Amino acid sequence: MDEFQEILQDFLIESFELVEKLDEDLVELENTPEDLELLNGIFRVAHTVKGASSFLNFDVLTHLTHHMEDVLNKARHGEIIITPDIMDVVLESIDLMKALLNTIRDTSADAGIDVSDCVVKLDKISGGDGEVESPKAVAPVKEVVQEEIVVQETQEDELDYDNMSDDDVEAEIQRLLNERQEEDKAKRVAKIAAGESVPEAPPEPDEEPKKKAPPPPPPPPPPPPAVKPKKEEPKAAAPVKKAPAVVEQTIRVDVKRLDHLMNLIGELVLAKNRLIKINDDVEERYEGEEFLEELNQVVSIVSLVTTDLQIAVMKTRMLPIGKVFNKFPRMIRDLTRELNKKIELEIEGEDTELDKSIVEEIGDPLVHIIRNSCDHGIEVPDVRIASGKPEAGTISLKAYNEGNQIVIQIDDDGKGLDVEVIKNKALENGVVSEKEADGMSDKEAFGLILKAGFSTAAAVTSVSGRGVGMDVVKTNIEKVNGIIDIESEKGQGSSIKLKIPLTLAIIQALLVGVQEEYYAIPLSSVLETVRISKEEIYTVEGRSVMRLRDEVLSLVHIGDIFEVERILDPSEYAYVVVLGLGAQKLGLIVDSLVGQEEIVIKSLGEYLKGIEGIAGATIRGDGGVTLIVDVVALMDMAKNVKASAMVEASGGSGSQEVKEKTKASDYTIMIVDDSKTDRMIMKKALEGTGMTIVEAGDGQEALNILKQGDHNFDGMLVDIEMPRMDGYSLATEIKKYNRYKNLPLIAVTSRTGKSDRMRGVESGMVEYITKPYSADYLSSVVQRNVNFKSEFL
Amino acid sequence: MSDKLKEIINKQGEQQNISLDQSDDIVQLVGFVIGEEEYAIPILTIQEIIKPFSWTRVPQVPKYVMGVFNLRGSVIPLIDLRLKFGLSEQKHNDETRFMVMKYEDDVAGFVIDRLTMAIRLKKSDIGPAPDTLNGEDTMIEGVGKQEDKIITILKVNKLLERDF
Repeated sequence: MDEFQEILQDFLIESFELVEKLDEDLVELENTPEDLELLNGIFRVAHTVKGASSFLNFDVLTHLTHHMEDVLNKARHGEIIITPDIMDVVLESIDLMKALLNTIRDTSADAGIDVSDCVVKLDKISGGDGEVESPKAVAPVKEVVQEEIVVQETQEDELDYDNMSDDDVEAEIQRLLNERQEEDKAKRVAKIAAGESVPEAPPEPDEEPKKKAPPPPPPPPPPPPAVKPKKEEPKAAAPVKKAPAVVEQTIRVDVKRLDHLMNLIGELVLAKNRLIKINDDVEERYEGEEFLEELNQVVSIVSLVTTDLQIAVMKTRMLPIGKVFNKFPRMIRDLTRELNKKIELEIEGEDTELDKSIVEEIGDPLVHIIRNSCDHGIEVPDVRIASGKPEAGTISLKAYNEGNQIVIQIDDDGKGLDVEVIKNKALENGVVSEKEADGMSDKEAFGLILKAGFSTAAAVTSVSGRGVGMDVVKTNIEKVNGIIDIESEKGQGSSIKLKIPLTLAIIQALLVGVQEEYYAIPLSSVLETVRISKEEIYTVEGRSVMRLRDEVLSLVHIGDIFEVERILDPSEYAYVVVLGLGAQKLGLIVDSLVGQEEIVIKSLGEYLKGIEGIAGATIRGDGGVTLIVDVVALMDMAKNVKASAMVEASGGSGSQEVKEKTKASDYTIMIVDDSKTDRMIMKKALEGTGMTIVEAGDGQEALNILKQGDHNFDGMLVDIEMPRMDGYSLATEIKKYNRYKNLPLIAVTSRTGKSDRMRGVESGMVEYITKPYSADYLSSVVQRNVNFKSEFL
Repeated sequence: MSDKLKEIINKQGEQQNISLDQSDDIVQLVGFVIGEEEYAIPILTIQEIIKPFSWTRVPQVPKYVMGVFNLRGSVIPLIDLRLKFGLSEQKHNDETRFMVMKYEDDVAGFVIDRLTMAIRLKKSDIGPAPDTLNGEDTMIEGVGKQEDKIITILKVNKLLERDF
């Protein structure tokens, strides 16, 4: 049965491809009904699907395609002229055909769809000319190979299979096999001779064979196939079908494999980032060494090749956007008839390529936009003529590359968007408040049509007006990190631009820091970054805002959105990342900007999915995980965040309670020195006091001990010259933390220069003990600084 | 000849079956401690056990979800079992481990206080969870009896289920 499945798969893939093309061709045919070439092409599609489906025993589908074929054949022979009315029926039958194919894909059977209505209509068309007989008479004489299939098909329909003896069955199978092979051959020939359509042609004779009992010429001796052969035939036929007759220039690849490949490239990009970081570190440490140059070369080659590889793999996932555009000519055609308007569709740039996953996402939004343009945009012919426009409206659909993005532009020359109407409607629907509406720019007002529950159509028609459409557009486009840009001039038409990133898996991001955490913001939503001082932040109605050139930008602190604990003392300056999403803007306050980096988007997995404001995670060069900000969600969240403050942030420095000291060992001192002997000497000097001593070998270690918060330190003795992090840097770092702002730091050093002392003071040291010192002196300095109670001595 | 061969083959087959049956009776578990209690999970649900390293906090989650960490290129959630079981927070020390558990496609790291040992238990020595804890929601698979103590065997699929 597997082989049957395999054949079925091939059949489905082939059929869907054919049908997709069919739509486009048919619409074109309507405009040029005389185009024989086109007609032949369309006929062939119906024929191929019919042939294959009868072979696979999809009776309903065969039945339908068969009648379609009939009509098309007549048209081909000039017996009927394709009028719009006939085209409606043909198109309807194609829709049915699609539905049937979908059913087959889902259930492996073609039951459940009623085609009889459509078949009757088709019959009427082909029979209406009173020429029902003619095809039957003409065809059989013409083609022998095809005839056999015809015979087979008709028999399938009517003959009883159970009467056959085993031998008969065998014989029949053999015969069918031969036929099949021959048919394949014929097909191949036909394929090769692509342009020349007719040779393989008309199996039309079986128009109404069912009623007319067994058909003409080569009467097959054994009774025909019905149910059983269905199982056996494909098995036998499979190898035949598989043999490739033409050398193919393309191969079908399972999307899963490409996804896997993309994941691997993702890993590689991460490794590359890491390598670059290590290279930088090494460069810093071994400046001027010879091997550095070589290392540099290797690193840059690796990073170059990785980038190329990434692009190459991305390209394999690309599909031309024409795949989506294809269905629009048909849609416009249907709509024009439904709405009694005249609309022409111009398509440009259908070769522009996009990632497969994105192509799949943008189909629906485009449908909605185009429907809207047809329904609300383009006026009825009378109105158009009255306003001096050509009778037929034009909708143009363009796709092109712009930097790292693909732009899909939908223009129409209809009546355009009316800002006032939109605003009034939005007020009516409660989408905005009056005050908001007044302060809105035109562009912001256009943005309103994307809101849920919004519709400007006076009445709900079957085409649009339910107020869901554009909302869907927004959701879907944002899902692929795209943005929507609407422009319109009243009376002149409107233009909608969808800007979509090329790929989803790897993006450019801006890395920002807040306190000790880092977040990645997709660069596509970052408009600019500015550095501001605290005084530039104003509070209006409980919200922070700032003035950015000539506009007022509302601000929100990233720490407030992501509940970041404030442990660092806020600095005088902050950075504002200006985020833009369509017409919406928001300033995100961060503590620091780290830089721009290429990041690989990883999902947070089933357990953590759907966390508001987080779009995913990425792995950084240092192996750590950085979360990626979901700008869309963040903009929503920002509305509910109270203005806090960066302004008043420094309030809670004394959060940890100061315990009453009851004995000498309650005092804790940290000694930071890289020399064990020096630490020993200091320890000895303080031994007499009974204080608790904690040691650290360098600044970094000391900082880590502080961060862990296992001890409440009362004071620190800090050496200046230490590896990894020296005393000055340590002091600077410590002073950033609110809770350690008042921790007395005592420098113990052999550096005696005035400038050294100055630096010590600058970095926040309270005392400066120069080596050598006496034990008593050290002890007394420490005691004084930690307010040691003498009664403990 | 062929009869004999068949016989031999049958016998071998039986022997294999027997040895399979025996191994079927034994459940292999890994024991670990959280707070005062000893727990165990089936050894095959453990992907790996690693020493603690840095992780990234994730906002808007319950406190027991500590965040995510990087396990050779995969981003994996980290869950503190102490907090999840209602115990107080404790600093990580030398014995703390991240236990990466897997059930079907779900993977997560769990912070445990310390490992004890691999345990082989007969199926017959495993009793059902106490009645009061029965039902769909319990995280307890059963209770394993050893000579001197009992061990709570946890359901990995329940541990990996998001409950917020």
